[in-house]
Amino acid sequence: MGMSYRKYLSGERIYGCSTCKTHLATIHTMMSRAFNGQHGRAYLFDGVVNIVEGEPDDRPMTTGNHTVRDIYCIKCGTTLGWKYDKAYEPSQKYKEGKYILERNLLVDVQ
Amino acid sequence: MMRLPETDHDGPSSGAPGVSAQAGPSSLNGSVDGLVATNGHKNGFTPLANGNSGIGAVMGNGIAKHGKSIAKVNLPGTTLYDDSFVNREEFVRLVIQTLRDVGYAESAATLEAESGYTLELPEVSQFRQYILDGMWAKAEAVLGRLGLHETEGLLDAKFLISRQKYLELLEARKPTAALQVLRNELAPLNVDPDQLHTLSSFIMCAEPEDLRRRAGWDGASGDSRRQLLDILHDYVPSTIMIPPRRFSTLLQQATTYQRQRCIYHNSALNASNFSLYSDHQCNKADFPRITTTILDMHTDEVWNIEWSHDGAYLASASKDKSAIIWRRSPSADPISTPYDQWAPHLILRDHQYPVGCLSWSLDDSILLTSTEQMIKMWNTKTGVCIRTLDEHTETVTAISWLPDGTGFISGGLDRKIIIWDADGKVRDSWNPTGIRITDLSVTPDFTRIVAVGMEHSPSFPPEPESNQTRGPQADAGAAGGNGSSSSFSSRVPHRMMVFNFATKQPELSIRLEADLTSVQTSQDSQSALINHAPNEIHLRDLSTGRIVCKYVGQTQGRHVIRSCFGGIESNFVVSGSEDANVYVWHRESGMLLEVLSGHGEGSVNSVAWNPTNERMFASCSDDRSIRIWEAPPPIGNYMAEFPILESSQAIPSTTLEKAKERTRQQIAETGTIIRTRR
Repeated sequence: MGMSYRKYLSGERIYGCSTCKTHLATIHTMMSRAFNGQHGRAYLFDGVVNIVEGEPDDRPMTTGNHTVRDIYCIKCGTTLGWKYDKAYEPSQKYKEGKYILERNLLVDVQ
Repeated sequence: MMRLPETDHDGPSSGAPGVSAQAGPSSLNGSVDGLVATNGHKNGFTPLANGNSGIGAVMGNGIAKHGKSIAKVNLPGTTLYDDSFVNREEFVRLVIQTLRDVGYAESAATLEAESGYTLELPEVSQFRQYILDGMWAKAEAVLGRLGLHETEGLLDAKFLISRQKYLELLEARKPTAALQVLRNELAPLNVDPDQLHTLSSFIMCAEPEDLRRRAGWDGASGDSRRQLLDILHDYVPSTIMIPPRRFSTLLQQATTYQRQRCIYHNSALNASNFSLYSDHQCNKADFPRITTTILDMHTDEVWNIEWSHDGAYLASASKDKSAIIWRRSPSADPISTPYDQWAPHLILRDHQYPVGCLSWSLDDSILLTSTEQMIKMWNTKTGVCIRTLDEHTETVTAISWLPDGTGFISGGLDRKIIIWDADGKVRDSWNPTGIRITDLSVTPDFTRIVAVGMEHSPSFPPEPESNQTRGPQADAGAAGGNGSSSSFSSRVPHRMMVFNFATKQPELSIRLEADLTSVQTSQDSQSALINHAPNEIHLRDLSTGRIVCKYVGQTQGRHVIRSCFGGIESNFVVSGSEDANVYVWHRESGMLLEVLSGHGEGSVNSVAWNPTNERMFASCSDDRSIRIWEAPPPIGNYMAEFPILESSQAIPSTTLEKAKERTRQQIAETGTIIRTRR
């Protein structure tokens, strides 16, 4: 609701949407590079900006069951990855509230 | 017995000799006593007065015929009233001046006789005339007797007179005589050498035209002598030479004061609404506070609105990826529907993204819209998209036609300021500014650009605390400056920057811990209205950067909300708000005047005051609608007095009932709304 501008990040390395270059995250909020998505390598981020979250969906993953939401670029609507709402395995709880961005859908921007 | 001196011989209002002869001793006040002694020129210019004043002569005769003898009235004390601080002599002399000015010469003379006060001494009127006639030597001779006590003031006044003389000689192509004035009169006065140097350089001017331009002076035949006289007023004590139209000046000040205290002021001051008999006060009921039309065609949030310069069209920009031009036309039947009729004139689709900004060309033939990084130019007659401009690389947040109409300016989150020709060709693209521009405004005098936006820091230092927030227990929203979307809006410092339009250099740059979402420059180009989230709007002086006034009450936290000036002489400040209301303040005092409800849930994103009708403005909202706000119809005023009339049974109740009925129809908000649905 209401008009707002997209957020702009600053830092040494900024990841943007490969389609429209909208700023999404910086290297400072990256938690891990050791994830896999539908298009290969994916990164886990603590905070991501300029995204729209989809409906929650229970998905079985290699590390157990999770409730996740797809996330889309706020400008062009490209599906970029997902957000973890809930992890059922106690060892995976740290992912809750965190975001996955697929490396192949990212581009370095400034 | 002493004759009252003749005065004001240049006007049609000289004192009548017949009256003054009978007037008795004139009690000149102490400050001019010294001058009385020197008053030997009386006879010298009495003929002058008779010569140029037919009216004076007639009146003199009139008085002689009636043979009225005016006795001087001796009043106790020196003030106008016992308890007032107004000096009676000052007051009476101002009245005399005014009477003379408007042509009541006989009354003025009578008043002089009855009060014993004279408007001014002959030297003063002589001096005035010498200046206006360019009789410099005589003017200087009289100058010494005008009570200029300080030597410095006298020298300054002499300098000003000699300067005029010098310039006039140059203008008349008499360089030798001018040079003599420079050497023998100006140079010995010990003035600033630079000033003298500038004056001497004028000798090089080949043409009088050139001289006038370089000296900023309009010549002997222009207004320069009158202007010189005005300046000389500052050196002569005002008790001796009363400034022209002094009474009128004081009344003007009273008007200004009353106007400033009239918080709902929204009509031009004129003879019909300003009277000396009572304090001016605009009727609160005339304020545009009811919704008279809802424009209801957009299928998503409406983010921006802009009136055409002729006030007949309103353009709206929506998240639904369209802009609509609405046309208003006078009601066909003003009795039953007192308000304008509205209809969509053009729907400008063909935007790839939501539409953010709008700007009409000065002749209203072109409408600019912005959608993300693109600017589109539309023919407002046909609705044809003339061009799409793709020079910005990030969202365009401001477009505005230049004050001279030759083109327009745009600003964007890409930090660029681009100046375009009217046909859409890039005229100039500035180097990226230090801010991601969220709005900009060119001052109407075309000298400055005021831009607001987010600070841009290319090398952001890594945040030490970011490690902590990576822990599993950390809430994503608490990830510091680089965290999740929700934490961002208030964390990025913003800046207000004022650029010199010609040099592109920043004149001011103020860092603010707030979101600055809109800027509008004032009509006098001296200040700018800036939305300063959270929850404040600031009026800032553009020279000093200081806050002139703050406007509070509205809610703004996360959204882009745009405010504007409104009403006659920009007496109001209006803004939308995230609480769905429209807020109106008195600009000068910051007093909140109105909180207007009506819009549905969500933000009221923008407001715009009609440029040709000071009693109409529009607001647009997340509720997908645009509301037109106007004053209640005139019958509303009538009804405002209704309770008094009812109790006194002043008008038949059937009339009242009818009036009530009509008012109910027109005032009840839902009743008046003209819905324009697709």
